[in-house]
Amino acid sequence: MKQSYMQLTWVFHDDEAQINKKLPKELLLRIFSYLDVVSLCRCAQVSKAWNVLALDGSNWQRIDLFDFQRDVEEQVIRNISKRCGGFLRKLSLRGCQSIGDNSMRTLAESCANIEELNLSQCKKISDATCAALSRYCSKLQRLNLDSCPEITDISLKDLSDGCPLLTHINLSWCELLTDNGVEALARGCPELRSFLCRGCRQLTDRAVKCLARYCPNLEAINLHECRKITDDAVRELSEQCPRLHYVCLSNCPNLTDASLVTLAQHCPLLSVLECVACTHFTDAGFQALAKTAGEDGSGGVPFNNRRHAHSPSHGLSKIRETEFKRSLLQRDSSYRALLEMCNNQEQIVASGANAASLSHCELITDEGIRQLALSPCAAEHLAVLELDNCPLITDASLDHLLQACHNLERIELYDCQLITRAGIRRLRTHLPNIKVHAYFAPVTPPPSAGASRQRYCRCCVIL
Amino acid sequence: MPNIKLQSSDGEVFEVDVDIAKCSVTIKTMLEDLGMDEDEEEVVPLPNVNSAILRKVIQWATYHKDDPPPPEDDENKDKRTDDISSWDADFLKVDQGTLYELILAANYLDIKGLLEVTCKTVANMIKGKTPEEVRKTFNIKNDFSPSEEEQVRKENEWCEEK
Repeated sequence: MKQSYMQLTWVFHDDEAQINKKLPKELLLRIFSYLDVVSLCRCAQVSKAWNVLALDGSNWQRIDLFDFQRDVEEQVIRNISKRCGGFLRKLSLRGCQSIGDNSMRTLAESCANIEELNLSQCKKISDATCAALSRYCSKLQRLNLDSCPEITDISLKDLSDGCPLLTHINLSWCELLTDNGVEALARGCPELRSFLCRGCRQLTDRAVKCLARYCPNLEAINLHECRKITDDAVRELSEQCPRLHYVCLSNCPNLTDASLVTLAQHCPLLSVLECVACTHFTDAGFQALAKTAGEDGSGGVPFNNRRHAHSPSHGLSKIRETEFKRSLLQRDSSYRALLEMCNNQEQIVASGANAASLSHCELITDEGIRQLALSPCAAEHLAVLELDNCPLITDASLDHLLQACHNLERIELYDCQLITRAGIRRLRTHLPNIKVHAYFAPVTPPPSAGASRQRYCRCCVIL
Repeated sequence: MPNIKLQSSDGEVFEVDVDIAKCSVTIKTMLEDLGMDEDEEEVVPLPNVNSAILRKVIQWATYHKDDPPPPEDDENKDKRTDDISSWDADFLKVDQGTLYELILAANYLDIKGLLEVTCKTVANMIKGKTPEEVRKTFNIKNDFSPSEEEQVRKENEWCEEK
């Protein structure tokens, strides 16, 4: 009798929701920390208490608008700036193409504590944005300006003046940039650890040498398609920046084995080297890299590379992603190295890599894939496998994979002409959640389609 | 395997493998600080967790005993909430009261993985809903006056797709 009375009063007086009554503010905020901008704005309208929670500064430190609205309007940025104010530390506006300098100026003024800003593909922004960042945002550490074609050297000069703490910058495809801008940036931002400038075709050795001289902490550099770079620049870079662990020299056609030799000599931490279409690289250069690894057999220096597959006992665990690209080695004399790489792929996977790219390994066969599938760690870890443009592999490879690699999430099979729809169907029956990227040409392509064809097919379908 | 005894707030004693119990940082620290030996017959009191919830927590910890330790950097955790495993999703098909109790227990016992997945579950109950739907889901009273409500609506309408 007494108990039922108690329950009754409990219900009667309970106008406070259970969630608010049971959970303290810090736990409610923890829940809110998983909410996106839209959900937060809606929560702010639920009740007075939730309004306070939703507008709490802790929710407005890191914002990514990429999934929210592709065409984020200026007004949204103004509201974000106002709401976040000094709380905002990290903002991604990747792909928000309508954003211009005006809204970025508002943002820079309001959010002076921002540390990480992604403006990749915000094609309308120009030097005025960087001027504002330089003026107001001295704490900026990471800036991504990938594919912002209006950016010029003036931006880099401003950044070098106002943002001395920059550690990561991505200037890829800002094609107006020249050596002068990079020199200013390197002088003003000695903390730089990552410098990515894919497709900045005007850059020459001078830009790279300035980076080498002023930024000794450099760990990652991407010079993809900086076609004027020579061995001289790579030599200076290797000598001055011993901490390099990621280097991309793809499509720098002037480079020779000398670059590989200096990298091997001076950069013991190097773990990823991308060198697609460096046509002068030969076995000799790669052997230099491999040899350094071999000499280091006793130590724990995690030297590795594709080449390091020769001595898998050290360092390989550092690899998370390995890349094998066709044009590493185009000439006949180099096929042996390519084969070695392919044969050793399973060891790389065995070391815990969760993604492996065998893209354009034109000599890899079903047997190589079988070995890969058999390695115990592939079964456990391998989540992504790129086999596009491996013309020799057949459905048998897929059968090996489906038996062993239960954690595969994605497989790339573009231009694997011996793979059939039936093979893919079998794979999908066993691994129902796998994403298979493949493309079947509607008609047999003419055999003449040769070197000039695009290497990556853009018109692919996801099966 | 060495076991330890955990006592819930309502007095029930659970015998648990030490390694499983240690996924709770609170228990782990307690054992280390007190220098409790594995052989000792001592009982660890957990005055903030009742037996029903403790049983659930132990069930969760047992299933997840071989998980890799969760990454440290809270700073960079991403906001995704669509990565709840199907086992966890089933495990958390409970009433709201139990869910909040689990959050409180995970917080008190300092079990990061459980705290994360329970908070994500609640976040998923909020996501994609209008303010009115959120109120209904959680039985929250709208205490804005009509004019206040209109004002907050205006302040937040910028986030809605036009």
